[in-house]
Amino acid sequence: MTGGPIDAAVFDALVEMTGGELSFVDELVDTYLDDGTRQVAALQEAVAADDVSAFVLPAHSLKSNSLNVGATELGGLCRDLEEQARTGDVPDAAGRVAAIAAGFAAAREALLAQRAARARS
Amino acid sequence: MTPTIENGAGLPGRVLVVDDTAFNRQLLARLLRGLGHEPVEAEDGRQALARLRDPDEPPIDVILLDIVMPEMDGYQVLAALRDDPALRHLPVIVISGVDELESVVRCLEMGAADYLPKSVDPAILKARIASSLARKRLHDAEREALDRQGASNEVLAIMSRSAFDLQVVLDAVVRAAVRLCRADYGVAYVLDGEAYRVAASAGGTPELDAWEREHPIRPGRDSVVGRVALIGEAIGVDDVLADQEYLATPGQATSGYRTLLGVPIEQAGTISGVLALTRNEVRPFSAAERALATGFGEQAAIGIANARLLETIERQRGQLARFLSPQVAALVSSPAGEALLAGHRREITAMFCDLRNFTGFSESAEPEEVLGFLRRYHATVGALVVEHEGTLEHFAGDGIMVFFNDPALQDDHAARAVRMSIAIRERFVEIGEEWRRRGHVLQVGIGIATGYATMGRIGFEGRYDYGGVGNAIILASRLSGEAAAGEILVSQRTHAALDGQIEAVAAGERQLKGFSRPIPVYAVGAPGAVTESAGIVGGGAAEIAS
Repeated sequence: MTGGPIDAAVFDALVEMTGGELSFVDELVDTYLDDGTRQVAALQEAVAADDVSAFVLPAHSLKSNSLNVGATELGGLCRDLEEQARTGDVPDAAGRVAAIAAGFAAAREALLAQRAARARS
Repeated sequence: MTPTIENGAGLPGRVLVVDDTAFNRQLLARLLRGLGHEPVEAEDGRQALARLRDPDEPPIDVILLDIVMPEMDGYQVLAALRDDPALRHLPVIVISGVDELESVVRCLEMGAADYLPKSVDPAILKARIASSLARKRLHDAEREALDRQGASNEVLAIMSRSAFDLQVVLDAVVRAAVRLCRADYGVAYVLDGEAYRVAASAGGTPELDAWEREHPIRPGRDSVVGRVALIGEAIGVDDVLADQEYLATPGQATSGYRTLLGVPIEQAGTISGVLALTRNEVRPFSAAERALATGFGEQAAIGIANARLLETIERQRGQLARFLSPQVAALVSSPAGEALLAGHRREITAMFCDLRNFTGFSESAEPEEVLGFLRRYHATVGALVVEHEGTLEHFAGDGIMVFFNDPALQDDHAARAVRMSIAIRERFVEIGEEWRRRGHVLQVGIGIATGYATMGRIGFEGRYDYGGVGNAIILASRLSGEAAAGEILVSQRTHAALDGQIEAVAAGERQLKGFSRPIPVYAVGAPGAVTESAGIVGGGAAEIAS
């Protein structure tokens, strides 16, 4: 999956961290996807409301969760947005949030595909 | 790695995970469980503080704290913890991303114990939690030691303050035992006849307490108190419902206590009581708690011993008072007593009273009659001596000797002696009348003298009397012998001390045995209301004298 939305090394570390119990990893991924869906929605609402301070928390949470599951690139996008939002000025907020939403959708697809592949094997 | 990674410190802790993202909470909780710890989750700072301050929830050992959170963030939580004396000591491990080092520094400055990177490494988590737990345990142990010391001092203070108030002492002991041994209910049973009865209790529902108070426990295998009574050692039952011999009582059923500890309250080899502690859950008392309870049992034993000592002293004083005058009985058991008993010189008024014609009566009457008369006579005079606060020196056959102004000081000692004598004479009118009807003529003669005498313990080891030596005593005795029936003769010095308060008339000078010169004497009349009866007595006396 090198070059894909999910960094395999990070994901494997997560699996190892949980003691290799894949059912728990599935639960964690589900939680990540649920949380992420809400966080992306919150970011989009912040764009609509033109509320810069409302970017900080969802960007922060999505960042740390993404870094944990190996969605490293998405995590980077979120970090940039969070840092920018803390300064009080987010240039091209709509564009950034759109990129994060796309990144999250790609990560979701990759994670679910990976699970399906594991189930088949 | 398996989820059951062994916990390095070997001690499981309750860890509060404070993070707004479910993902992190879930992951950390899973890891903590794998390390043998018990995770508790909070979604933000507000929830975390509410949980920490909830008295109904079990205490938290370590906090894992996220910094960026809605509602109340990590900094606010740290500030709140720092301001709360009850929570200040709790170790906090801050969870932070690698890009948040500045925040970590700020958190450490605010009192956080440690930090943990967000991409949690289980080995690091394990080490950090273990180190924080060790710190917390040390703090808890210190606080517990202080608490125990404090409670123990408190009980000792109460014991020294109210050494002889058994109830106060037992109440304090039971309260401290329940608190420090983390029991739900505690009872001090004290042996009463053949059963152990509740003497003090703390905690517990009113229903349970009422039941226990109404049901004394006998020695036996079917109860913990009974077993302690049988064996005389501390007995712990981890779960009463799993104990074959334990007989569950309605008291147990109403409260549902499960774990029991009983320690003996021992007095010279006798189990005079049992201190019992219960827990409403199956959670055996630790060795430290047993030792603590045993100490409280010993304090209760001292309390009981003190109370019994006091009872004994009171009883002895009561018994002494039946033989000695109340003043002397009190003196014997007072701290100043020894010095007074050793001897002292003081002005006293001595009164002698004996019966005219007693020798003839005791020869002619039946012995039972004589004893019956003497009992009546002694009872009558004894009551008057107590009433006038005289010190009874002796009751010997028909002779009675009473002092005033010793050991208790009395400004009006001469007047007291004379008033008491008048009262005796009056009462004797009735008694003498009764006996005259039976054919016996009995009357009192009284002598009173005032002067210095040496007062104290007289006699020999095993048979001491409280008495005095001095001219006044001899003079009183001689005057009593000189007095006609119904007559009260007083010395010149007594007469002077009366200062006209009680009428006495000069009755000439008498040559008395042991006195080289004739002694002026005065006869006490009966002023006011007494005149009539004195007249009767006087009449009687004339009859006898003739």
